[in-house]
Order: sequence, then structure tokens, then C-alpha cells
Amino acid sequence: MVKQFIGAIGLMLLGAALVQGAEMRVLVKDYKGKLVADAVILAVPVDPRSALHARPPTDAMDQVDKQFVPYVKPIFVGSTVRFPNSDNIRHQVYSFSPAKKFELPLYAGTGAPPVVFDKPGVVVLGCNIHDWMIGYIYVSETPFFTKTGPLGTAVITDMPAGEYTVRLWHPSMDHAEETTNQRVTLSADAPASAEWQIGLKPSIRVPRVSGAVSPSYP
Amino acid sequence: MYCKFARAVLPAFLVLCAASHTARSDWTVATATALSHDDNVGNAQSNTNKVSDYSASATVSMLQLIPIGEGYSLAAGGDLSGQVYDTLSGLRNASIDGLLSLKKKWGLGAFATWTRAGISVGRTDYQQGYRDATIYRASLELGKRIDERWNLWAKYAFERSAATPSGVEIYGLSSDAFSQEGRSFTANARYSLSERFSISLGSLLRHGDVLSTTQSLGYYIFADSKAVAPDPAFGPGAYAYRLNATTYSVRLVAEYSLSAHSLIGCGFQRSETHAQGGNNYSDSMPQLTWNYQF
Repeated sequence: MVKQFIGAIGLMLLGAALVQGAEMRVLVKDYKGKLVADAVILAVPVDPRSALHARPPTDAMDQVDKQFVPYVKPIFVGSTVRFPNSDNIRHQVYSFSPAKKFELPLYAGTGAPPVVFDKPGVVVLGCNIHDWMIGYIYVSETPFFTKTGPLGTAVITDMPAGEYTVRLWHPSMDHAEETTNQRVTLSADAPASAEWQIGLKPSIRVPRVSGAVSPSYP
Repeated sequence: MYCKFARAVLPAFLVLCAASHTARSDWTVATATALSHDDNVGNAQSNTNKVSDYSASATVSMLQLIPIGEGYSLAAGGDLSGQVYDTLSGLRNASIDGLLSLKKKWGLGAFATWTRAGISVGRTDYQQGYRDATIYRASLELGKRIDERWNLWAKYAFERSAATPSGVEIYGLSSDAFSQEGRSFTANARYSLSERFSISLGSLLRHGDVLSTTQSLGYYIFADSKAVAPDPAFGPGAYAYRLNATTYSVRLVAEYSLSAHSLIGCGFQRSETHAQGGNNYSDSMPQLTWNYQF
């Protein structure tokens, strides 16, 4: 009885150690040294068994002040995403991207049906009523991903120790994401780190404000 | 008249502004201000008769967007605007416009071709009330955003302004000089050079009535014009006369985006008007603008 109890405690401790896992810290700058926010970092385990037990969660992409919030959202493939509308008006969200083509009907509040993102890749979102609205969902093939904040930094936690191919994607990156591949080895006792310097092209967007010579809104 | 108009309209407009925050509706509130210099305000033919002046204008617009599905959307709203001149104080004016438009997007997304039909009714009151007019407009528009950089659109418009004739006929000519009618076609292109900087080019072709002001009533005025009336805003002996004319105009504007909501611009407009009887007018107008959309 005592042996069984000690064995159970041991298994729990081992499980806790595995759950705690390894950690990777990243930093992304552009070629001028400016910190880059909204860069998606993806860590693909060299041993695919490390990601076997990952379950796609339910996620959300909000609409606030006629903008998608957040601007960039990484999700795991297979995730279901809701599109709540926090504005006091109606939106009509759509995407033409090969990774997920869809069109939600005009809706307000939380009335839109959720969308399942079952194919990895970049999904560009728009609103058919407010043309300047643009947002990105990055559908990741790996459960180990994160997004940089305003300081260009991010942390991926709870990763199994081992070897990973790490890469990044950004909406304005001027080169293919495959060119950013790095090989990183993670151990449970010390965090690993990765750093990138990337080129960003000008982010030219449909303007929200009508100019002196513009078709009047809307 | 000018002050009475402002007193009557401003409270109503403020109530409308307040209501927009409580109603569950897609309101867009925008402001536009401009500082301009017009080198030929009165459309004079000879350089000696040209009167130039600076003016400042401000407009507050409120539009409610009502998407009705299948790519259709209605827009209803209005503008309240005012314009002051530096020396021609009689031309100071305030306007209110109500407008309604129906837009159709022929596809999904920002790059779909769109068309729009719109009507508006407005009232402009001047400091010197003889120019006061009610203005009716109808328009058809067609546009397409080619990509994030290029945006193209065109507009055909009919405009009629109805003023109250002075009642004093001069040599048998109508005194209804300030009522005008015209049709115009404009074609516009906007190109984004960078994330914040854009240039726009607009061209206009207009055919219809134009107003010209003179300090001396010559024979040719009575031969060519449809109506003549005193125009004391340009001086005690000034007369305005209405002619049939064709106007060609080009406008170039460079704009810089201060934020997602705000644009400052610098533009130049050149117009050439060819009226009946060989009366030709030219006009140049540099302009500084600031647009803010909430």
C-alpha cells in the first residue's frame, strides 16, 4: 500500500516536471534595430511525437473600433475561432486566403458562427463593410508558437525538451518565412533563446479617413 | 439671416451628434477644414477685374451607414459647414446638407467594384442674404480600388441651386442671377506612395451656369447672359451675371497621414471656364487641408 502510494507520488512529480517543460525566449528586430511586434514564432519539434498530444483550443478574434483585435493571432491547426463583435455596429468578416476561405453574414454581438481553421497557413481577414479593416490569423502546424509584443519579445513555455526548428512570420516581412529557420536545442533546466533581424516592407493599407479628394464615406 | 440660420441649425446638429453615441448604429463623424486662396473669386475675365481672397472653411459630416445585405448599403446623413473670407465679408456663408445614397459593391472585399447613387438637398445662407440658395444634387458614382496603392473613381452629378430673385430687372433681363444649374463629370485617382504619404489627381468637366461678377455693366453682358443682379459683396457698384459655360478643372493634392484618423494635405486646383460670347475665365486655388474621421 505504501509502495503504491510512493509510486503514485513519483508519477505525479514526473508528470509535473514534464508539464513544466522547457522554455524558449525570442527577440525580433528589424534591420534598423527597431523592435518588431506581431511577429509569429513557430517551434516545430524535430521529433514529431513531441506534439502528438496537443489539442486545438477554441480561440477568438474580436472587432473593436472598426479594427480586428488582435491585429495578428496565431492559432494551432484545427482550432475553432469565434469572431465576437465588440462594436456597436454590424460587421461582415471574410477571407479569400487559400488556407481558409469563408464569409460570415452581417452580424452584431456574438451572433456569428465559429470557424474551424483546419489547414496551416496565413489567413487574411477583412470586413466587407469597413474596407480598411485587416487582420491576420496564422494557422500553425505546431502547438508551440507565440507572438511578439511591443518590445519585440516573446516566450514559448511548456515545451518538451529536445531539438526544434524555429522560424518566424510577420505580415510585413519582405522575405519568405522559410529563410528564417533556426535549429534550437531545448533542455528542461535552462531556457533557450533565439533572435532574428528581419526586413520589413512598407505596410500600405486601405486608408480609414477620406481625404480632400476622396469618394465620400462609405 | 446668417446668424439666424446658425442659431436654428446648430442645436439640431448637436442633438444629432449626441444621439449618434446612444443609438446602435454605424455613424461616421468626420471633419474637414481648409485654408484656400482663390485668385479669381468673381470669375472675372480681365486681370484688372480679378478679385482674389483668402478663405477658411470647416465642415462637420455625419453619416449613418446601414448595410442591407447582398452588397447593398444605404448611407444617410448630413453636413454642416461654414466659410469665411478675409476681405469679401459678404460671401461668408453657412450651409447645411442632408444626403441619402445607395451603394452596391459588386463582389466581396476592399477591391470590389462599387457603384453609388445619391441625392442631397442643402441650404446655403450668406452674410448678405441675396445669395442665399437651396441646392439640390443628384449623383452617380463608380469606383474600384485596384490594390492597396491605387484607388480610382468617377462621378457624374447634376446640381441645381435655387435662389430668390432680387425682383429688379435690368434692361429686361431676369434678376435671377444666383439660381444655377449644371452637370459635371469628375474622374479621380489616388496613389499611396508610402504608408503615410499619398497623392490624388482629380479632373472635372462641368457644363452649365456660371456666375461672373463685374464692376461695370457692358453691352456684351446683356448680349450673352441669362440674368443680371446687383452683387454688393464685391462692392457697391458690382453686378453678377449668369452665363452658360463649360469648365475644365484639374486638382492635385498631396496628403500625409498623421494617424489612422487624420490627414493633412496640400493641394492646387486650376480651372478654365469657357462661356458663351467668348468670355473665358481662369482660376487658380492653392489649398491646405486637414481631415479627421472619428
